[in-house]
Amino acid sequence: MANPSFPVIGVSDGDLRSAAERSGLTLRVDELRRIAERLGRDPSRVEVRAFDAQWSEHCSYKSSRHLLGHLPTGGPNVMQGPGEDAGILHVGEWNGERYGVVIAHESHNHPSQVVPFEGAATGVGGIVRDVLCMGAEVIAVADALRLGRMERADSHQRYVARSVVNGIAAYGNAIGVPNLAGDVCFDEGFDENCLVNVVALGLVRERDVIHSCAPPNAEGWEIVLVGKATDASGFGGAAFSSVRLDEGDEEANRGAVQVPDPFLKNVIMRASYRVFEYLRERKLAVGFKDLGAGGIMGCSAELCGSGGFGAVVDLDRVSAAIQGMRPEVLAVGETQERLCWVLPPEVTPAVLRIYNEEFSLPEIARGAGAVAIGTVTREKRYVLLHGGESVMDVPIELLVGAIRDELPVPVMPEPAPVDPQRRWIAGERAVGELFERILSHRDVCSREALYREYDGVVRGTTVLPRGYADGGAIAPIPGSPLGVALSVDGNPRYGRLDARRAAELAVVESVRNVAAVGARPLGLTDCLNFGDPRNPEHYAELVAAIGGLAVAARELGMAYVSGNVSLYNESKNGNAVPASPIVACVGALADVAKIVTLALKRSGSALYFIGEAQNAIGGSVLAEVLGVRGAPLPDIAYARVRGELESLARAIDAGLVLAAHDISDGGLATAIAEMAFAAATQLGRTVGVRLDDPRAWTGGAAGNLEALFGEAGGFVVEVADTDAFDRSCAGIPFVRVIGTTIAQPVIAVGAERFDLARLHEAWIRPLAEVYP
Amino acid sequence: MSAKVAVLVFPGTNSETETVRICLDVGLDARAVRWSYAENLPSYDAYVLPGGFAYEDRIRAGAIPAHDPMMDAVIEGAQRGKLVLGICNGAQILLEAGLVPGTGPVRKPTAAFTRNAPVPRFVCTHVHVKLAVEPSRCAITAALEREALIPAWAAHGEGRLAASDEHLAEIAAGGHLAFVYAHADGTVDERAVPNGSALGCAGLTNKAGNVLAIMPHPERDAWDFNHPDLRSGTNVLSPSGGAMLFASFAEALKDV
Repeated sequence: MANPSFPVIGVSDGDLRSAAERSGLTLRVDELRRIAERLGRDPSRVEVRAFDAQWSEHCSYKSSRHLLGHLPTGGPNVMQGPGEDAGILHVGEWNGERYGVVIAHESHNHPSQVVPFEGAATGVGGIVRDVLCMGAEVIAVADALRLGRMERADSHQRYVARSVVNGIAAYGNAIGVPNLAGDVCFDEGFDENCLVNVVALGLVRERDVIHSCAPPNAEGWEIVLVGKATDASGFGGAAFSSVRLDEGDEEANRGAVQVPDPFLKNVIMRASYRVFEYLRERKLAVGFKDLGAGGIMGCSAELCGSGGFGAVVDLDRVSAAIQGMRPEVLAVGETQERLCWVLPPEVTPAVLRIYNEEFSLPEIARGAGAVAIGTVTREKRYVLLHGGESVMDVPIELLVGAIRDELPVPVMPEPAPVDPQRRWIAGERAVGELFERILSHRDVCSREALYREYDGVVRGTTVLPRGYADGGAIAPIPGSPLGVALSVDGNPRYGRLDARRAAELAVVESVRNVAAVGARPLGLTDCLNFGDPRNPEHYAELVAAIGGLAVAARELGMAYVSGNVSLYNESKNGNAVPASPIVACVGALADVAKIVTLALKRSGSALYFIGEAQNAIGGSVLAEVLGVRGAPLPDIAYARVRGELESLARAIDAGLVLAAHDISDGGLATAIAEMAFAAATQLGRTVGVRLDDPRAWTGGAAGNLEALFGEAGGFVVEVADTDAFDRSCAGIPFVRVIGTTIAQPVIAVGAERFDLARLHEAWIRPLAEVYP
Repeated sequence: MSAKVAVLVFPGTNSETETVRICLDVGLDARAVRWSYAENLPSYDAYVLPGGFAYEDRIRAGAIPAHDPMMDAVIEGAQRGKLVLGICNGAQILLEAGLVPGTGPVRKPTAAFTRNAPVPRFVCTHVHVKLAVEPSRCAITAALEREALIPAWAAHGEGRLAASDEHLAEIAAGGHLAFVYAHADGTVDERAVPNGSALGCAGLTNKAGNVLAIMPHPERDAWDFNHPDLRSGTNVLSPSGGAMLFASFAEALKDV
């Protein structure tokens, strides 16, 4: 082989290690030896780069796959479980067709820390391609952000906080996909490693799903590359995601980040929708996959390998942005805005014409377009040609087959039982200034200043944009009342205390948020953001969190259809992020007419609390504000959680609920304040609340501050017809009236009165300063 | 026979689907016409320029697409009295093409929708726009009531009307100021303006009143399901709210 090799055989461990480090490889010595042994020779430089990408944690899940096997992934709502670029949930029928909602969930943490605008933007771009390549129309995006402390105006953290939002907005707005949901937390644990998790939703009819694999009859079919001209950006991206950030290597890290082009993507998406239409007319099963980690090599190898085939790809046919690019950069670089088809040769010309002529890609961006670059082969080898010579020739299953790098699973102690009655705050206290302090807490205050930069209403299908309810909702099928709801959740204050319960609470919270708008929760995705798994402490957190995700999903009858693992979220000095299991929940509404918002509607209604107050205030904003230490996270009684969800669903379905809001950060009093704020800002109505003294409705189960601001969860519900509501909830012990809505702009708690305008000002101000 | 309406798609346009949909729902025969297949544009009766980021907002929003060959047909049609409606990026293009306010030569703009102020940031927020001229002043608004209040979503980074004092005076005196931002109760003040727009301007028309450029998106608040707390009818799929502008547009095209 003319292609230079990477010497492994006969090289000492020490020399091999330093050679790998010099070349910026993340492959370990034992992995390099395994490759040479299986090939029976030294790998070529191209091959070693290919394995470096494919065997990274990012691509292979080598140290987490065996753990993820514990998650429930099947069920009646699951149309497509994990294993492809995105999962699919059955959302309903319309005109005799079964419709699926495609969902993908990924992290783009490392790139966003190094170059936050581009990192966050390409995060959106990548997740959108994952959904698109299932044959779906992209209908929504969402993002969960974990950012460092942004109080200081000149801090890097504030620069990251602003640029990440700019990047998400610039990309999502331009491609015309509404930003429907998301959350943000600010915590010193993310000062050196922000988390940018992105979710995208798509809509597809079940019979039109396209799989990310070559179909059984694909021998001899063509491999067609679509999109941006291949350049040197994003070289080493997959491996980069699988190491710790080292500030000294900032320049090298920057080179690994990709460059977004939402303008080109806008056209590629529309052209691809046209190709879907063309293929539907011909009832053709083909393969389609996004180019992400590992570039052309990774995508074409996975497409063909997963179908039981091999592939020959000619790098000389790739449209290169720069002359004289090295074959390993062409093959493995992660230039954005590219996708790959596996097509029967008789169809290729028509597809090329759609991209290159109907949508004139070569005129949209220099070197962009669609071109056939290779062939699907019966022989199960992955072969790359460059300059007319073979530069890579390996067994395809060695490249893309499951590899394992499993650490022993530690025996996890059963979580200590929580005594929900134990007090952590002495006696009963007046609320006083505490209300404003909690409303202005960085994790409670209004997010509007942040998300108003995102287009939440493009496509004209939005029913609930961000800020109107706990979950976002759209009516994505033209002419149909079917709705789709979405929420993304996770809480780093909980993660720091107890990774397992934090994971459980993330599931419960996301399901509650979707239920609060009246949607039936369908299924979940998860993104696990943790530190280096070789650190036993972080590994134990990861194992615990996956255990928590599994338990909560089983208890609530949910399955995970897609997800992502992001490890190594720590800097060189070993500062890892707080355990951050982040969960998205998709819900379905048979009729969006029944949707419920969180804004209070009128004075004279009864306010109900569905849930149970606890004294366990660990991880709550209340505990942080009061400086309480040692308290556990709230107890999760799943029978009660299911009862809460069922009673709310029944009441909403019967049309008995005027407004509903899930209780989370800042507790019940915060939820009530937000409902009153929304009445004023969204409906122009003055609606206040008179809340009974908590002693009257907790029955002594919790102290007054714990009842008002604790985060044990549940719902606050506004009800006009209390008799009918009581009948609907008959027999459920944890549903009770806690107050009434009034015409005055105040929230009265027992004998204390709070001016709504002042509370609102405290709630609005903090992020308005960061995002002016 | 309903009028044939072309919804123009430039590279970077992103609102063509919902714009076509609301036009169809008010009875127009609308279809999206893409830049690469636009030879038959002159055969259409009216044009809608939808929102997006045509040609990536290079130089200035609307500046490049104003010179796209598709605009030759639109300009010629407008000069012959065809109705032209531009929304958001479409409105920016109409200003850059010089069709509105139309006080200067074609493709020599006298005003622009430019960077929001005081903070030059993209903003997505719910607004109301109020008809600020006699309904009959502009053919597209002729079927609206006086001072009609239309709900819409502002979603733009460049929506602030800017022009020289002289041209602003011409806009005001010539009855070009078709829509201003207003509160939900119809009152008009600076707080209702999301972008620092001169004259509180949300929409402009030309001298002849056959071209309308409006910055916020009425088509994104155009069905009952878009505003679940303020539903007017029993069918969640009924056009309502922002649809009233399109209904007036359709009314004006009834006899075409």
